[in-house]
Amino acid sequence: MMRIDDDLLMAFLDGELDEVTRARVERALAEDPELQVRLDIQRRLRDRLAAHYAPVAEEEVPERFRAMLETNVVALPAARSRPLWQTFVALAATLVLGLFIGRAITSPGPIAVEDGIAVARAELADALETQLASTQPPGAVTRIGVTFQRGDGRLCRTFDSGATAGLACRDGAGWQLMMTASRAGGGAEGGFRQAGTGNALVLQAAQELMTGEPLDAARERQARDSGWRTNRPSR
Amino acid sequence: MKRAGASVSSARPGSRLLQAFERELLTLLPRLRRFARALARDAADADDVLQVALERALKAREQWAPGTRLDSWMMRIVRNCWIDEMRSRTRRLRTFVPEEEGEAIGSDSHREIELRAEMHDVDRAMNSLPPEQREAIVLVLVEGLAYREAAELLEIPMGTLTSRLTRGRQALAQMLEAA
Repeated sequence: MMRIDDDLLMAFLDGELDEVTRARVERALAEDPELQVRLDIQRRLRDRLAAHYAPVAEEEVPERFRAMLETNVVALPAARSRPLWQTFVALAATLVLGLFIGRAITSPGPIAVEDGIAVARAELADALETQLASTQPPGAVTRIGVTFQRGDGRLCRTFDSGATAGLACRDGAGWQLMMTASRAGGGAEGGFRQAGTGNALVLQAAQELMTGEPLDAARERQARDSGWRTNRPSR
Repeated sequence: MKRAGASVSSARPGSRLLQAFERELLTLLPRLRRFARALARDAADADDVLQVALERALKAREQWAPGTRLDSWMMRIVRNCWIDEMRSRTRRLRTFVPEEEGEAIGSDSHREIELRAEMHDVDRAMNSLPPEQREAIVLVLVEGLAYREAAELLEIPMGTLTSRLTRGRQALAQMLEAA
C-alpha cells in the first residue's frame, strides 16, 4: 500500500494533485480507515476556517474605506437597476426646499426654485457658467468636476461646493440642477442615508446621463466660450 | 472637513470618468477585509492594516498593470503592510521572529494568547501560529488560492509553501480538535 504523508493528503484535500496521484490516494483511503480519519480532521479544519472568516466578507465595508477610493477619483458601486438621477430629482427638490426656507429672503442661496425647477443661483451659477475644471484655483469655493454631453445634446457639469455636491445641466439661459447630494458630516439629517458617498453618487448619475466621453480641457473651454450651446445633439 | 472637490478636479482632463482601478478595488474590499482579518490578530488590527494598504495602493497605482490580477497585487500589499506592522511591534509583542525561533517560542505565545479567554477558538489557534504558517493557511484555506498562486504571492518555492501549510494545519487541528 502506498504511504500517504500529510503533505500528500492535504494536497489531495486542496485539489492540487494530478489524476493519477489522486486515484492512488483514493485507493489508499478506501483501504485505510485511519487515513480517512486524518483526512476528515483536515476537512473539518478547512471548513471551520472558511466558515469562521466568511462573515467578514459579508459585513458592510466601513465607510472610511469606500470614501478613500471614492474621493480619490470616481470609483462607483455596482450598476443600479434604474437611473440614479431619477431618484435624486425628488431628493434634490426636498433639499432645495430646505435650503430655500432655511435662508433669509434677502440673502439668496445657491439654489432657487423657478416654476418647480431647481436652478443654480449666485456663486454656484457663476461657477457653472464660467469656471473651467482645468484652470480653477485650488481654493475655489465651488469646484467643477466633469463636463459632459447628455443624450439630448445638453451640456451638464458636476460640481462640489463643500457641503453640497451636485449635477447641473444647461437649460435655456441657466443651469438646472438635476441632483444634489450632501456630504457626510455636513449636517445632512433626514433621510439621505448615502450622504457620505454623495460625491460618488453624483458621479454615478453623471455616468448614467453621459453620452461618450467627458469633455477634455480644450472642449470644455470651447463649450464655455460658445455659451454652453450645442447645435448638434448627439442623436 | 475633507475637500470633496479634490476628488473630481483631480481627474486628469480627458481621462475616463470611471477609473478601472478604483472601481475594481471597491469591489475587492469585502474580500480584502476578510483576508486582513484572517491575517491579523484581531478586527481592529485588520482594518488598520487595510487602511494603510489602501493608502499605499493608491500611491502606487501606476505600478499596477491593467489587465493583471488586482486581487493578488492588493493582497500582496496588505500582507506587506501587516509584516511591517508586526516588525514595528516585534519588541513589544514578540510575534514576528524567524521561523525556527517561532516554533521554539510557540508555548510562550500560546500562554500569552490563552489569557485572552474571550477570543474565539479559531482566533486563538490562528494567533498561536508562526506568521509564515498563518499566511500560507490564510491564502490557501481561507482565500482559496492555488498552491502556485500562493507561492508566487509569498515569493517562496512550492515546497516551502506546502511544508508550511502542512505544519500549520497539523498544529491547528491539534488545538481545535482538542478544544
